[in-house]
Amino acid sequence: MNFIYPKTPGEAIAGTFRMFGENHVTANLWKLSVAVLAASLAYVFYMLSSEGHAAFNTSSDGVNWGSAIATYVFFALTSSGLTFIASLSTVFGFKQFYPVAKRCIWLAIVTLIAGFAVLALELGHPFRMLWAMPLGMQIRSAMFWMGVFYSIDLVLLFIKFYLLWREDWDSSLSRFVGASSFVAVVLASGMLGLVFGSLAMRPMWFGSATSLFFIISGALSGAAAIVVSVYLAYGFDTRNMPAPLRALKLSDQLPKVFATLIGIVLLFLLTRIWVGLWSNQDGMEGFVALLRAPWFHLEVWVCLALPFLMMLSPSMQVKPRWQVLASVLVLLGMFIERLQFIVAGQNVPMFKGTWMNAVTPYTPSLTEWALVAVGISSALALYALGDRLFNLSDAPKEQAGY
Amino acid sequence: MATWGMVIDLEKCTGCQACTLACGMENNRLPGENWQDVIFFTEGSYPSAQLKWFPRPCQHCENPSCMAVCPTGATFKTADGVVLVDWDKCIGCKYCMVACPYGVRFYTEEKPLVSPDMRKVHASKDEHSWNPPWKMPDAREDWKHGVGIQPHDVVSKCTFCYHRVSMAPPGTPDLDPQDPKLREFTPACVVTCPPGARLFGDLSNPESRVSRMIGDKRGVRLLDQLGNKPQVYYLTGDGGAVPSNRAIDKKA
Repeated sequence: MNFIYPKTPGEAIAGTFRMFGENHVTANLWKLSVAVLAASLAYVFYMLSSEGHAAFNTSSDGVNWGSAIATYVFFALTSSGLTFIASLSTVFGFKQFYPVAKRCIWLAIVTLIAGFAVLALELGHPFRMLWAMPLGMQIRSAMFWMGVFYSIDLVLLFIKFYLLWREDWDSSLSRFVGASSFVAVVLASGMLGLVFGSLAMRPMWFGSATSLFFIISGALSGAAAIVVSVYLAYGFDTRNMPAPLRALKLSDQLPKVFATLIGIVLLFLLTRIWVGLWSNQDGMEGFVALLRAPWFHLEVWVCLALPFLMMLSPSMQVKPRWQVLASVLVLLGMFIERLQFIVAGQNVPMFKGTWMNAVTPYTPSLTEWALVAVGISSALALYALGDRLFNLSDAPKEQAGY
Repeated sequence: MATWGMVIDLEKCTGCQACTLACGMENNRLPGENWQDVIFFTEGSYPSAQLKWFPRPCQHCENPSCMAVCPTGATFKTADGVVLVDWDKCIGCKYCMVACPYGVRFYTEEKPLVSPDMRKVHASKDEHSWNPPWKMPDAREDWKHGVGIQPHDVVSKCTFCYHRVSMAPPGTPDLDPQDPKLREFTPACVVTCPPGARLFGDLSNPESRVSRMIGDKRGVRLLDQLGNKPQVYYLTGDGGAVPSNRAIDKKA
């Protein structure tokens, strides 16, 4: 879209309100997502004030972490993946990816904020966390380091975005911030993996492979998010795109990266389920439950295997509609993956309660689904806002195609 | 300084759950929120199925994984070996619950296990999560050590009745409920156990009864392979084994 972008904070605030009266894809996305956000947030706040966290279906007797944590992990890892994609041009010099760098950074910021927002509504005492974690200095806790690295990540993303907004694409400072951001995000997403992977008493999660899986599957959901958002920004019509971006979209480079990431994630899932079903170790019973869950099959066959084939097919991989469909399916698949990973890992009860000798059931409550909607709608609303206010299609002059 | 530990003799345990009830009364637990649970399960199938039970308090591990994962330091271990939660520091992230191999931790804000919800019947007007008609004296309540009725949105667990045990005369090898002078310092579940299946004492004192019983009767620990090193020991003998897994039906 060829917007006139605001230059002062006052113009930006005015532009935010003006979007309610505009009629284009970005403004419509903004209006719809703000409406969904307002409704879902109002419902979540009402339920939390009347029922407290008892409005969740999580339980001390089984699944302690439910869909809210899965949503946080989904957004945090998508944010990390977007930073990886941005780093292709800003850190590693693949200049053909410059046209999506600024959009990636903004999306990384908004998805991380959406994740943090959902996490804050899940935590018992989010404000206490702000002082108790820094003062506690629990250096043995993976969650402590996850907080440290994701906080650093968010600050660096803001700095990098500010520099790009000032059209500082390639100064030494800009490159330093980009490289630091890349390191921070590897540590952050890896540490998020270790939050689960460190726990020997949860064999379905245990192991350093969890960390690697989080980093790589994060890159996959980041890649899917940027493909969808770029098409969204140009009304799903490549003719509206600047030439370098169109070249990137219509070449087989992005599909190849995409197919490779899907393939690696599928391999991870296959080897994980193989080990899980083969092993007699106590605590692996959740894999059997996983295999019986229709969601798992939707994820593997429809949301991963199908897009994998689509992005391998020479005739389909360069067609916008198949790219968009593959990306949407992958995003859905990654959300299911986070949910089933977290829930199945806790399905085996730990000497809990009388007569509980099967895997524990868990289905998110309406409040928990509303919290998922809060996450998605807040990310989309902030994304639309950025698209309207900050010229996310910007790129260095030789790449911008103006 | 003592290292408090518990010995549970499975040859004597009858599965009566008096420990569960005494703990609930002493510590003002919600119905179903059993810090001290007795887990019933079946082994084998017809015609040789067996009903089994297994008493399970917090294991107060030497290497508590709940403490290692806590991002704020709310979960801590006292010098006398008891694992506690500081409710003023707990942020309710539930990581400790996920990381405990023994399932002994409880979150306050959950769907009630029995109806009606006692938190609504006896609603609290202050920061407490509920206000039961009978409760321990306010003077004994100690949120820094996770003792009393907890506030909203924190994690709670068995304290080995820290409000009792911490008052014991220094150097006491065993807190024997049969001794009138020590009875009030002994954990409620130990005091109430009708067959006397529970012993409580100083694991660091080789002369204590708990140490001698662990040595003489080959005390074992639950899921010892995980390395948490519980300070709760089980004596098995003819009373059945400590479960080596989580008593789950793989086909279920």
